[in-house]
Amino acid sequence: MKKIIVACGSGVATSQTVASKVNRLLKENKVDAKVEAVDLKSVDRHLTDAVAYIAITKTNKEYPIPVINGIAFLTGMKQKEELQRLIDAVNNG
Amino acid sequence: MDILQNVVNWLLSLGAAVFVPIIIIFAGLLVRMKVKDAISAGITLGVAFTGMSMLISFMTGAISPAAEAMLESTGISLPIVDGGWTTLSTISWSWPYAFLMFPLLIVVNIIMIVLKKTETFNADLWNVWGKIFTAVCVVAITDSVPLAFVVATIQIIFELKTADVHSHRIEELSGIPGVTCTHKMVFFGAILYPFDLLLRKIPAFNKDFDAEALKEKVGIFAENHVLGFILGCVFGIMAKWSPAEILTLGVQAATALTLFPVISKYFMQALSPISEAVSDFMNKRFEGRSLIVGLDWPFLGGSNEIWLAVIWSVPVTLLMSMILPGNEILPFAGIINIALAVPAYLVTKGNLPRMLILCTIGVPCFLWIGTAFAPFITDLANATGAVDLAAGQMISNSSIDGPVFTYGISQVFDVVNGNFIPVVVLVAWLAGYTMYYRELRREAKNAKEVAAAERA
Repeated sequence: MKKIIVACGSGVATSQTVASKVNRLLKENKVDAKVEAVDLKSVDRHLTDAVAYIAITKTNKEYPIPVINGIAFLTGMKQKEELQRLIDAVNNG
Repeated sequence: MDILQNVVNWLLSLGAAVFVPIIIIFAGLLVRMKVKDAISAGITLGVAFTGMSMLISFMTGAISPAAEAMLESTGISLPIVDGGWTTLSTISWSWPYAFLMFPLLIVVNIIMIVLKKTETFNADLWNVWGKIFTAVCVVAITDSVPLAFVVATIQIIFELKTADVHSHRIEELSGIPGVTCTHKMVFFGAILYPFDLLLRKIPAFNKDFDAEALKEKVGIFAENHVLGFILGCVFGIMAKWSPAEILTLGVQAATALTLFPVISKYFMQALSPISEAVSDFMNKRFEGRSLIVGLDWPFLGGSNEIWLAVIWSVPVTLLMSMILPGNEILPFAGIINIALAVPAYLVTKGNLPRMLILCTIGVPCFLWIGTAFAPFITDLANATGAVDLAAGQMISNSSIDGPVFTYGISQVFDVVNGNFIPVVVLVAWLAGYTMYYRELRREAKNAKEVAAAERA
């Protein structure tokens, strides 16, 4: 099963909200991947074996894996597009 | 009726780890979850409560002997253990009426939107516990549940208005359109703002900083396990313990800080189906109307300035706790003080030197209010059985969100007992809030005019 990372300040509230929601959406779409919520302060450590990074913050840093816009899953706006990008990332990762 | 009363009392007597899961199973079925998913969420919530209780016992067991030894070796008396926000949220969720806060939040938000009194839709259902906490404080003083919900309603309205007026500045700072912050931590800006007005007059502070490079260097100190280890060792050294004892406490403290978020996550997992159902409902209800979405603070967490201010505040808080008259908390699990750094970030628009000064000025508020709340947080923990404490052990949080507002509005009723301090505190907060509100509104209006002029 492939790993996707989502991060927020404490790795508890916002990131877990996104993780629960995306996990449900992935299951509905029969995608074999699991989203893990982590602490923003130690996110780099968790990205090494992940296929995508769902960012809740605006990030200027370059990552070797696709970065998905996590705000979309919180607001519902452009959620479909971001979910598709995520599924593509899992299939190509 | 008597039978129902007896059943309810029996359920409550079972403790938070049993009755809150029962409530969430019913709440889950109400929002049309599948039976097996609802039961799974309920058990997960029971695990969260029990895990948290275990962890808090572990933490107090490790820290309080050091605090006692510290008192003997240095004369500094800090008997209140700092359980951080995770402890407060655990206690809040264990209030029997806690779940009624969901419908209240939704109804107030819908009414405000329909009346065009707000443009914000609060999607941050996790921080419902912040409203619950205020309500619980009101009950502790007045014994009145209806009054508690009235005060919670006032808080919800303030959160929406504050989110409205911040939305422009937040978009400018975060670069993310269409969102704002509905967390009550932002309220602390009212206290910081007057100080910032003075600091703005000093041109030396208006330099640009390479916050990113600095954060790369010191960021590791904010990681939970590293920070926990350092704090544990500092406590051990101050207690004049042996090296073996110091290192052991270091590792134990690192364990506590590492596990807090791990266990809190189970609360979130259990509650997420309900919060998802609510936000889906709200999204459908207001489709087509462009609303700003209110979120918890982490979408601002990409700012290096916030993390630098958080790291700066750690030693400041620790030092201040030792010398500040009237403080009795030994800062620990609440020492990562986001509720201080985020308002400082918003007030200064990310000016790091001013943020650091404001954070330093702000620390005493958190320590004093954390101390003031300790007896009642401890009572509540014992009454609900949400947290297992040794006899005589006090617990609190050194980083209560929006401390001045929370203290003022929840304790204001203590005036009937002749205590006028909360009234004064609340009035001071309101004065600062009004000034800050005006600046934000002016800024948003100017930006709108500029944008309109550019289009014309």
